Amino acid sequence: MSSNWKISNRQFSILVTLNAIGTAILITLAGLASEVKQDAWISVIAGVGISLALIGLYNVIGDLYPNMSFVKAIEAALGKWLGTVVSLLFIFFSFNGAVSLVWIVGNFITTQMMPETPMLYINILFTAVIIFGVRLGLETVARSAEILFPWVIVFFLFLILFSTPNLKAENIQPVFENGIKPVLRGALSFISFFSLPSVVLLMIFPASLNKPKEGKKAFFTGVLVAGIIMAITAIFSILILGSDFTARNTYPTYVLAKKISIGKIIDRVEAVIAGLWLITIFFKAVLYLYATVLGIAQTLNLRDYRPLTLPLGMLMVALSLRIYPNIPYFIVWNEKTFPPFAIVSGFFLPLLILIVGKIRSKKERKIADNERNKA
Amino acid sequence: MKAVLGILIVTAGIILLEAPYLLERKLKKELCVFSILLTFGATISILMALGIQLPNPQDMITVVYKPLGDWIFGILQ
Repeated sequence: MSSNWKISNRQFSILVTLNAIGTAILITLAGLASEVKQDAWISVIAGVGISLALIGLYNVIGDLYPNMSFVKAIEAALGKWLGTVVSLLFIFFSFNGAVSLVWIVGNFITTQMMPETPMLYINILFTAVIIFGVRLGLETVARSAEILFPWVIVFFLFLILFSTPNLKAENIQPVFENGIKPVLRGALSFISFFSLPSVVLLMIFPASLNKPKEGKKAFFTGVLVAGIIMAITAIFSILILGSDFTARNTYPTYVLAKKISIGKIIDRVEAVIAGLWLITIFFKAVLYLYATVLGIAQTLNLRDYRPLTLPLGMLMVALSLRIYPNIPYFIVWNEKTFPPFAIVSGFFLPLLILIVGKIRSKKERKIADNERNKA
Repeated sequence: MKAVLGILIVTAGIILLEAPYLLERKLKKELCVFSILLTFGATISILMALGIQLPNPQDMITVVYKPLGDWIFGILQ
């Protein structure tokens, strides 16, 4: 079953990239621009730097528990009972992520592209595709990511190339108008969408990689590629739309694509960015749901996770209609509640597992040494 | 009422799809977890279809994490 699935390092770094770009490319820029104004791009670059350090932390955990998924590692570090409780918190984090991604897709399509379709049907369709992916398994998902990734890059280059005539340098000035602290605050809320959710990837890293040793490098490469894409997107949004207009839109990158108009021939190409974004968010949602079902199956020692996907999918559709009552709720949630939620699940939890694991392995070594001395 | 009927049909479909496989292989624990999750999902869907207001899990997360967020962002203010 799932423990036998192996993916290559290339596939893993593609999954890391798609997972990191996921929501960040369409949603975070608006919040960043309202917080940091024209310095949003500096926040993004600082955030990418912090993210690389965070991936270092995840890699150390991978070293400590080379053959275990994150839920197994939690159990190994904290024991059965406490481990189960903490695992449930982690599972709740990833399930909540999956549900909110379904809401975001439903909201995006109903507000921007198909205003007359009820959100329920879009959510059902999107959830069905996610469940399909999760049931087919990690290897299939990784291979399809490998096929679709070049398209993401092509769409992105298309957006960047045709946006260049609209660049206005005065939008980015003055640099560092408000000092360093708002920039750091922005960086913190940026990484809570960009790299902290990568903690769900610890469910497949390093246990499901065919060459775990080189997997560390793949993790870094994936985040670095996503970071470059995000930094360019941020710089272009600020340069073309200006910080004020970026802040006032829910989906600034989409507006960025709407602005493209080359000689009235290449016009209205915003569906391109929507396509890019649906691909990335699909893989992010699949990884979240995969972490959820695999997490539940491993905490309860089930042999197969597949029977859980359909009931959870039903729950996902129901909750996705209820999760954010309206857009202001969503914006406040993203600004105030999600960053600490992500920091606790994506930074403090792995840190705790790491510290406890280190202490345990030291103790075990001591006991082993003592026994050797006695003998 | 139509929505409730639809939800029941979907639930029945899920049972038909999964239960034979689970019974055949005698995966009791899996069957148990599957039933609990499905009952939970179906109940919530039906309650929502009937227009009953349920507590939003997001509100609970907000109660727990917002003070922490205010503190973290307060340092950088």
